[in-house]
Amino acid sequence: MTATAFPDAVRMTDVSKHFGGVRALDGVSLDVRPGEVHALLGENGAGKSTILKILRGVQPPTSGTVAIGGTPLTTFTAEAARAAGVSMAFQEMSLVPTLTVAQNVFLDREIKRGALIDDRAAIAESRRLFAAMGVAIDPTRRVADIPAGHRQLTEIVKATSQPCKVLVLDEPTTALSANEVERLFDYVRQLRSRGVAVVYVSHRMDEIFRIADRATVLRDGKHVVTAPLADFTLDSMIAAIIGRRSRGFSDVARGTAAIGDVLLEARGLSGQVKPRDVDITLRRGEVVGVAGLLGSGRSSLARLLCGVQPAAAGEIRVKGEPVSIASPRDAIRAGIALVPEDRARQGFVAFHSVESNVALPNLAAVSKGGFVDPRRVAALAEAAIKRLRIKTDSRGAAVRTLSGGNAQKVVIAKWLATEPDVLILDEPTAGIDIGSKSEIVTLIRDLARDGKAVLVLSSELQELLAACDRILVMSDGRVVRDIARHDLDDPGNPESVDALQHAEQKLNQAMQEARGGPAR
Amino acid sequence: MTDAAALSARKAPSPLSNWREFIIYIGFVVIFAIFAATLGSRGFLDPNNLLNIVRQTAIIAVVSVAMTFVLGTAEIDLSVGAVAGLASVATAMGMDHLGIAGGILCGLGTGVAVGAVNGWLTTGIGIPSFLTTLAMMGIARGVAMWISATAAIPILDKPYAAVFGGGNLGPVPSLLLWMVAVGAVGHVVLRRTTFGRRVLATGGNETSARYSGVDTAAIKFKVLMLSSVAAALAGMLYAGRLHSGRFQFGEGDELSVIAAAVLGGTSLFGGAGTVVGSIMGALLIGLINNGLVLMGLEFSQQLIARGAIIIVAVAISQTRKR
Repeated sequence: MTATAFPDAVRMTDVSKHFGGVRALDGVSLDVRPGEVHALLGENGAGKSTILKILRGVQPPTSGTVAIGGTPLTTFTAEAARAAGVSMAFQEMSLVPTLTVAQNVFLDREIKRGALIDDRAAIAESRRLFAAMGVAIDPTRRVADIPAGHRQLTEIVKATSQPCKVLVLDEPTTALSANEVERLFDYVRQLRSRGVAVVYVSHRMDEIFRIADRATVLRDGKHVVTAPLADFTLDSMIAAIIGRRSRGFSDVARGTAAIGDVLLEARGLSGQVKPRDVDITLRRGEVVGVAGLLGSGRSSLARLLCGVQPAAAGEIRVKGEPVSIASPRDAIRAGIALVPEDRARQGFVAFHSVESNVALPNLAAVSKGGFVDPRRVAALAEAAIKRLRIKTDSRGAAVRTLSGGNAQKVVIAKWLATEPDVLILDEPTAGIDIGSKSEIVTLIRDLARDGKAVLVLSSELQELLAACDRILVMSDGRVVRDIARHDLDDPGNPESVDALQHAEQKLNQAMQEARGGPAR
Repeated sequence: MTDAAALSARKAPSPLSNWREFIIYIGFVVIFAIFAATLGSRGFLDPNNLLNIVRQTAIIAVVSVAMTFVLGTAEIDLSVGAVAGLASVATAMGMDHLGIAGGILCGLGTGVAVGAVNGWLTTGIGIPSFLTTLAMMGIARGVAMWISATAAIPILDKPYAAVFGGGNLGPVPSLLLWMVAVGAVGHVVLRRTTFGRRVLATGGNETSARYSGVDTAAIKFKVLMLSSVAAALAGMLYAGRLHSGRFQFGEGDELSVIAAAVLGGTSLFGGAGTVVGSIMGALLIGLINNGLVLMGLEFSQQLIARGAIIIVAVAISQTRKR
């Protein structure tokens, strides 16, 4: 891109954002030029979403300045940012499912004729926008009735249906087919040629290399590097994103467990959409990880194995016996337990006590003839608190009064109490502090040593590397790689302090290659 | 949040939330004391008057026990008043043709049948219980009017009337015994059985309950069945107390029952509630009604005062829920 006389579309100078004592952003500067696609890269928690929130006016920075198109942003509200020319397509869908596509595109700024809404004009205008993108989405259909990929494109059309200087795309391709990604990229290039600055956030490196002109990498709230894409290789980009530091998992003792007989075996397992035709073998004493980018089908696999979602095809065997898992109750009976991904929604009843929550999946074990034995419930809860070192006032305290890490321990405890053979953990350390993270990973190792088979699904690669003996890489609903943990070690230097970084880089590469992208 | 911060944040709220949990008892004692002081001379404290309060509220209390379970799963049953009316008619007609046992079976059968329909529509078809039971309210009332040709059907059987609400055991009204018995069973079931635990888990967080292996649809079916059967029992108590079956019995009771449960600390959003609280709520409403009558207020004024007191009480008891 050439430097021009135009002011930068976005100029953030020395922006910091503190939440209490936590520095989410620390003196970050970012400039995005008109007519460029600027990739914003970093791990979860690197500060990307904080930058996006400041950019679209939802949060004010603690210090520093933000200018859009040369005009300083003084008030930080969504309306002010919008008026300054910032538009955002949300990763988490912001569409109203019961309204039509056209009604959603023009939500809250409906085209009117006189005092009344002109639906026909909105439909015509939407149709024109979708034609510009080259996709055939019917603007008269209800959003609830169109596929997820079309919803994602509608989100983007909604964001660009009014003139904007800056367009923020946050993981815009997670639900798109390969063909739809092409259409989206053409559309982004059109916008770029019209002088729109596009801030592009994605974990999919192949897409970054294809669409972005420049990239900025953040790590731990700090600016790492900004450079044209031509200056990066896939290796150097991943290295910049990961950095060279331990994230607290280095203290996890990786005692080797004796790998025993097969506890869980799935053959040709498929869901309604994802996963597709997955084979998995879990042995006693083994921790197997599942890595995959957003939309790879990781969580669907977990929901299938624990009976929350019905399987469309395939066979599951536990200890060699075929089992039919149509409900979570079947899974519990078969000895499979899931620590689900969304703790607050799926994991516990927030305003019920630690004791009640631990008891819930174990009611059959602590009751006789339908009557709950309060002493056995208390003993179960006390044992759980002690075993997992849950920090709580008492077993009667509501789970919502606990910190994230301790609440997660309650969820793990309630499932461990069912004495499963197979424990599945989906994003077991999401949103909890680093100390608890390492404790939970240590616990996972201990469980394997005690003879359980553990399946860990995570988007945090360091966690997978610290916990697992074997890592499956999923993409587009399929298991595409099966990598032994020791194959990721640096053969020349297995004990070095950089060992985890090396392994993470290799795993990251494997994941990007799995998406079929060009590894430059 | 750091662990230290979490720890200190955790210490603070417990005493406050504790007194709120007992607000129904505090409110009951306070209002009772006020009435005793101001209305003592008008016979408020007369044992007969106090037993009358129990007679007038026992039927509401019985249904509020079941309603605690329904609200506990975050569902609602608006048909209980109409089902009581229908069951009173069915009992009276059954007794006419089939004798006392037949009458009792007809009454309870009404509850089972309505409960099965409510439960199936709500969990099988997926119609929200608010709508299912709103529609059922009209249907049950209509059927009661139709089969009774809007006439009262007399009950001449003395033992039935004595057992179901009309008589006394020594000085104790049989209605009080029914209330205590239903309350005791309800309390134990909610507190001490796996069913009760699953009810509160279903209402507290349905997704989490499902992930934990609770068959939430079956639980909801059962609580709707429970409330219909309790409503039918209420109708049989009306029938015994007033020696007849009438379609009007129980009119408007659904709102009194829900108010009683909510006054007693049961959350309309599910997951929290106690049977004892609901019974106390029913008694508090009865207490207020009685006091307002003794004060010599006109019926119109009673309605206004009762509404205002209930709003204040619920506001106080609900503030903790955000």
